[in-house]
Amino acid sequence: MSARFVPVPTPETGTYWEKAAEGELWLPRCDSCGRAVFYPRSFCPHCHGDDLTWFRASGRGVVESFIINHNPAPGYEQDAPYVIALIMLEEGVRLTTNLLGVEQTPDAVRIGLPVEVVFEQRDGIALPQFRVITGDGASG
Amino acid sequence: MKGARQATVVGVGYSSVHREIGVDTRPLVVDACLGALHDAGLTTSQIDAVFEYPGAGSQIAVNVQRLLGIPDLRAFGDLGGSGPSGLAAAMAAVAAVESGVCDVALVFRSVNREWGQQSGRTEVPPAGNAAQFTLPYGDFGGIIPSIGMKKYRRLAELGGSEEDYGHITLNARQWSAMYERGVLTQPLTMDDYLSSRFIAEPLRLLDCDYPVTGACAAIITTAERARDLAGAAVTVDSVAFGTGSRPDWTFSDDFVFGGTIGCAQHLWATSSVTPAEVDVAELYDGFTHITISWVEALGLCGIGEFGDWVDGGKRIGPGGALPLNTNGGQLASGRLHGLSFLTEAVQQLRGDCGPRQVPGARVAVVANAHGPQCGAMVLTRT
Repeated sequence: MSARFVPVPTPETGTYWEKAAEGELWLPRCDSCGRAVFYPRSFCPHCHGDDLTWFRASGRGVVESFIINHNPAPGYEQDAPYVIALIMLEEGVRLTTNLLGVEQTPDAVRIGLPVEVVFEQRDGIALPQFRVITGDGASG
Repeated sequence: MKGARQATVVGVGYSSVHREIGVDTRPLVVDACLGALHDAGLTTSQIDAVFEYPGAGSQIAVNVQRLLGIPDLRAFGDLGGSGPSGLAAAMAAVAAVESGVCDVALVFRSVNREWGQQSGRTEVPPAGNAAQFTLPYGDFGGIIPSIGMKKYRRLAELGGSEEDYGHITLNARQWSAMYERGVLTQPLTMDDYLSSRFIAEPLRLLDCDYPVTGACAAIITTAERARDLAGAAVTVDSVAFGTGSRPDWTFSDDFVFGGTIGCAQHLWATSSVTPAEVDVAELYDGFTHITISWVEALGLCGIGEFGDWVDGGKRIGPGGALPLNTNGGQLASGRLHGLSFLTEAVQQLRGDCGPRQVPGARVAVVANAHGPQCGAMVLTRT
């Protein structure tokens, strides 16, 4: 079994991964138009503003959509089928994740489920992952 | 309105198609191009432009110029990577012909079957650039996870059922059985569809087109030149590209429809006909979600109404009110990557389709791709 992919940070994304290593999800936000930006880059894709300021994001969102992947990527051979989900964060950006702590079935995963960020340690990198919020705080 | 320079399709051609790997695409693309020239009653020396959509193992425009012995080109282009699949080549040819840059354009798509899992990837790339936010999550299939997510999102937003998707696949097999170039010609039942294995659940194997190696081609010239040619000419009534806002397969603003809705609006705004006048539709079916998106985006039915509209498949099948993908599409006749929707529309409007002919077809709509890569065309024959 091959190893799972490990992210290779680039100059614009360094802060994202440094903050993840501290257990926090940070995003850049445009000083001009106020919108959060994902993935991190050197200027705002909405208004072309050059000044972006990093901030700590809520780490909460909902499942925008998902698949249950039956053709595993390297490192996921033992886990297939596994969920790849697209999360809409409260800050209005979409990002890709797996879904932890939930059965990887269409009965257990639904569009609209509330989720929160957790961090997976992988080869010296802390990888943001999301888990379904249950109990208090769940909107059902 | 465009007068003598009105773009007109005067010939189409095909190669044989192959499932085995390692097939040289050069003789195939030559077969398809010579077929289109013969169909148009033209010779290689009369071609003055070549446009194509490239891909791994396919042939680029000047390779084909050399293979065919075309003396010189006034226009050429390899329109790959981000354009509307094979239709991109024809769309470029229309613009070049109508602007006067060239007079007789050869367009083709030569496809080399990608081998292996995940769109033929055999090497593991580094998870850098944008991929640092996808590959670590086992998102390794390019468009496949994205299309699966769009299918679930559509079902959640607009309702409908998996059977809606199945009707696209079952329909393709009905038509391919009547097509001399059909590849998968055995009929399917809805149970067959609903029990086909998941690739990226909810995306099933039978939601995906059938990879082949092969080529197809068309000749586009002016209405003036077309009058001197033997074959029946088909008019390119309107052409439109589309991207949607913030174009991207995953991050675009309209996740479910991508650029299809805007593309369709532009198409009808410049067309001499309306959606109600369409006799036959040839809409990209690389994945069934794409076909359903186009049916609704083009206004052939309302948004979210496909399931009722398709009427158990009757509406789009042989004898139906709106025949769809009448050569079996890529689901059943192989992935020639978009251009075969144009060539089939041309053949339908000429009345060349034998047992699968749509009686009296005069207006066809063709669409390619999805998301940030949309393109569409209305074709007419008076």
